Amino acid sequence: MKRFTNLLSLATRPKPQVGITPADVFFSENKWRLLRYRARPEGICHPTPLLLVPSLINRHYVLDLMPGKSFAEYMVAQGFDVFCIDWGTPGDEDRYVTFDDIVDGALGRAIRQVAKTVPHEKTHVLGYCMGGTLTAIHGAVHPEYIQSFIALAAPVKFNDGSLLSRWTNLKGFDLDTLVEATGNVPWQLLQSAFQLLRPTLPLMKAMNLLDRAWNDEFLDGFLALEAWGNDNVSIPGEFYRTFIKDLYQQDLLLTGGFRLKGRKVELKNLVCPTLAVSFEHDNIVPGPSAAALIDACGAVDKQHLHLPGGHVGAVVSKHAAKTLWPQLVAFYAKHDQPVVASPAPRIEVEVAPAKKGEPARSSRHGRAVRTSAVAE
Amino acid sequence: MMIWDQWKKGFDTWEQKTADMLESVLKSPTVLQPMTGLLTSTMKVKSATEKAAAQWWGALGLPTKREQEKTLHALNQIQSRLIDLEERLAELKKN
Repeated sequence: MKRFTNLLSLATRPKPQVGITPADVFFSENKWRLLRYRARPEGICHPTPLLLVPSLINRHYVLDLMPGKSFAEYMVAQGFDVFCIDWGTPGDEDRYVTFDDIVDGALGRAIRQVAKTVPHEKTHVLGYCMGGTLTAIHGAVHPEYIQSFIALAAPVKFNDGSLLSRWTNLKGFDLDTLVEATGNVPWQLLQSAFQLLRPTLPLMKAMNLLDRAWNDEFLDGFLALEAWGNDNVSIPGEFYRTFIKDLYQQDLLLTGGFRLKGRKVELKNLVCPTLAVSFEHDNIVPGPSAAALIDACGAVDKQHLHLPGGHVGAVVSKHAAKTLWPQLVAFYAKHDQPVVASPAPRIEVEVAPAKKGEPARSSRHGRAVRTSAVAE
Repeated sequence: MMIWDQWKKGFDTWEQKTADMLESVLKSPTVLQPMTGLLTSTMKVKSATEKAAAQWWGALGLPTKREQEKTLHALNQIQSRLIDLEERLAELKKN
């Protein structure tokens, strides 16, 4: 009976709040922001901070979906000083933002900003999906500030016979015309491409909804994920051109021909402890594409985890909180000596509630602005 | 409940098989090529239309959308360079 009442009230059901773990804007430049989650009251107990690097295509709050299903919240509770990049929404002028601007510029700056919050100037970096690919590329050229690297479902081998690989390698696929015409490559196009990877997914989701509609917790999680899944971002055209041409079409990352700001990217120079995580039912980043990082990187301490689950569900769910997340914490524990708990970092807070659709105001350094509504 | 479970099981099997079948269909160049061709043609038309509109706009002596975008981008680049300099200065001060 509850199943039917829940289904009937679906349209009027209050939308679950997403991305609500308290965070402050630590740094901002152009459209991207570096968020710092507020430390737990007991203080931070790991000497090295953690930087989360999400994909450019989706919103950052997938890693902070909702209470109980938030990786950021979990890591804060474990005593980490957690930072996350919010790539923001590119404006029309950002069509000229290049791969170098993002990976060497913005990502490099974010890593340095986080690393410099501690005396030993190192940070753990966790890259999810495309964020993992970008971090691997950056880390191969600038390994100095990275203590350890976790690549969560991050593609490294692109010529893998998948639909996306085949589509971008077709003779008729005119990348330059696409970028020229669209400027920022529209999220609708990217979304359609992902939907083609599993055209039956909407039906499957509807069936799961029918099946578990009696469960309020499931419904809230379902609605939160749908809210995130429909909140996509367009990609800067020049960035997309390099990403597709050099990675999907020529697979240069594994062959060593890829260049970042003129410097050759060789994954064997990525020497920090590295963990690559792939998922069995990931139809966006197939397992071998993510696992290729382990063979290619030069780390002595490297590990590959292949877990059941899909691209998003295995990372953001109650199940992930019991299976994946503790393994990630164990990886960090192995590569970081715990220290005596220190008091939570003092952050001068200037209350400035963010308006919907408007980025919160902030200064670039130090003085942070409270953005409890960062994920609006 | 038994009927529902049976039905769900059947659906899951059907979904898996259909998804596999659709994947092989969509991967086929026979399907992928025309879809890609259509996308490229649409983009060419969009590009040509915008170019014509920009030329007309430019003929009136007004800045085109592209020119405004380039200017804004240049401003953003200057901001980035300034932050680079700030970082270097901070580094020098520290040393």
